[in-house]
Amino acid sequence: MRIKEHPILHTFPKGVTVPFFFDGKTLEGCEGEPIAAALRAAGVMVHRHTSRFGQPRGIFCAIGRCTDCVMVVDGKPNVRTCITPLRAGMQVQTQYGVSAKEV
Amino acid sequence: MKRYELIVIGAGPAGLSAAIEAASWGMKVIVFDENVRPGGQLFKQIHKFFGSKKHKAKIRGFRIGDTLLKEAEQAGVTVQLKATVMGVFNNKEITVMMNDQIEHFKGDNILIATGASENMITFPGWTLPGVIGAGAAQTLMNLHGVKPGSKILMVGSGNVGLVVSFQLLQAGCEVVAIIDASSRIGGYGVHAAKVARTGVPYYLSHTIIQAEGEDCVTGAVIGEVDDHWQIIEGTQKKLDVDTICLAVGLSPMSQLARMAGCEMIDEAVKGGLVPLCSEYGETSIPGLFCAGDVAGIEEASSAMIQGRIAGSVAARRAGYILDQEFAQKNADFQESLAQLREGMFGAEKKGKNLSHTDEGIPLSLTLLQEGYINEAEIQRFPGFSETISSETKTKGVYPVIECTQNIPCNPCQDACQQGCISIGDRITSLPIVTDKEKCSGCGMCVSSCPGQAIFLIEENYEEDYVAISLPYEFLPLPQPGEQGLALDRSGQAVGSAEIVKVRQGKAMDETAIVTMKVRAKYAASARFYQQLEGCLSGGSTEALAMKGGELE
Repeated sequence: MRIKEHPILHTFPKGVTVPFFFDGKTLEGCEGEPIAAALRAAGVMVHRHTSRFGQPRGIFCAIGRCTDCVMVVDGKPNVRTCITPLRAGMQVQTQYGVSAKEV
Repeated sequence: MKRYELIVIGAGPAGLSAAIEAASWGMKVIVFDENVRPGGQLFKQIHKFFGSKKHKAKIRGFRIGDTLLKEAEQAGVTVQLKATVMGVFNNKEITVMMNDQIEHFKGDNILIATGASENMITFPGWTLPGVIGAGAAQTLMNLHGVKPGSKILMVGSGNVGLVVSFQLLQAGCEVVAIIDASSRIGGYGVHAAKVARTGVPYYLSHTIIQAEGEDCVTGAVIGEVDDHWQIIEGTQKKLDVDTICLAVGLSPMSQLARMAGCEMIDEAVKGGLVPLCSEYGETSIPGLFCAGDVAGIEEASSAMIQGRIAGSVAARRAGYILDQEFAQKNADFQESLAQLREGMFGAEKKGKNLSHTDEGIPLSLTLLQEGYINEAEIQRFPGFSETISSETKTKGVYPVIECTQNIPCNPCQDACQQGCISIGDRITSLPIVTDKEKCSGCGMCVSSCPGQAIFLIEENYEEDYVAISLPYEFLPLPQPGEQGLALDRSGQAVGSAEIVKVRQGKAMDETAIVTMKVRAKYAASARFYQQLEGCLSGGSTEALAMKGGELE
């Protein structure tokens, strides 16, 4: 899903490739890019499930306004993944209601 | 509490322009923005802007963003990022959230330049992952280099829907369709046409009925609507898409102005609730200004001028500019702004079903309904009719300008060093090819046209063949000698094409000029080139057979 070469922008300035954890699985993303961009590039669509009906939600506005893409990041719930930069080793978890799934 | 002569809220095109203007006169200015990067939405705008030279026409949005940031730095503007303005209170005092702390500032003047937010429409399945705003698509692909999806349905045919559709194609996505509940395409015809010629279909008078999928979008159902916006039974159609992009308008983010107690007005043509503003952008509260989309939805070009106006008014009030100097400056700004508001898409004519251009030429109805101009209609426009004639055997090369709506734009006139192209003083007039004999074939008009509506035709390139030069902004770039398909304005293959020349250069700013050789009978119809493999929407030689074209 990453754009390798763009006709106008050519390449995208990106940080180094780093590992992070998504629901325990190891994925890779670019340091400093939004967590949501790294997840989309890795093919992850569902960021959370709503509390009452368990409906899936993902990226919607991508600029930190709608809060649809919030997840549990390093144990903290309701983190807007579209505007939170990815760091190496981050623990990113699908959010159910306002918490991660009990393991 | 810190005090500034001008506090700007929002570091987008309006806010930065105001800050630069005020600071360049010597004012002490600070700009607050909640984002990690300044520039607002400018860095997602990778297309060339419309307007004239003074409106930065033919320059891509992100380059304008770079220039603004440099100017802001030179002018000594402080831009405080990750700073959310939470409230605007009496006496022009504001509270700002920075590093999880609230700080208090006072401005002699305040400019609210918070921009707009995207509108949404609801339908079954609209909350599924894969349904995104058009702005989200731009953010993912143009800032972060990630494709928002593979197969996209665009809902909305305004300029945002059209421009983002083109950008999705540039990013390597397939745009399956563009739909709009309206019976007419809302954005510029030239934006619609450059998407249509790649083969993307338009469904006007169509709305989205449902997004399908369990965990994410796996398809969409659309249907035709009647005059009362009700689905006509039997018109439902299923589209194989994984992403649904909503481009259904913008609303001013005027909450801060309202909170401050500005007199507000709900105006459909401005996109919703906006503060009542003077010609300087000053609200009902003296010293509190608004500029850009927050004061009424327009383009970034007008936002920048509105910002300049507010910045210079603040500087005059504080005594940094003499009255006479201000008067001259303001007159220039106002004239420049008025130019951008002229034409078919300006506030006065917006939403009206016009039938003719200012010149009295009937508008192309296929352009409004299907996104491209049909061959019979193009004949009546001045950029076209004065050139191609099947009777005379013209020698040499000349431009064909397929610009058929009155929009404020004139880079083609400036681009032609030979003086072949004329728009005149009124920048919304349709361009005319005044003297095709003078054309040197340099192609600067082709690459400078933000609407990608100019082509060069060389008749008698070879016996029974013409050479057509067209703007091309996709990868992979065709190579000379390559064989492919010539597509017409609707994206249908008309015949085979051979690439004979590919030009690129700094002045063309990433708009390559591709010259293809086609049979002479396609001189008036072939307007795009499709590679046989790995091309835009997955076309192939079979596509030609399917489309009923002939391969020679």
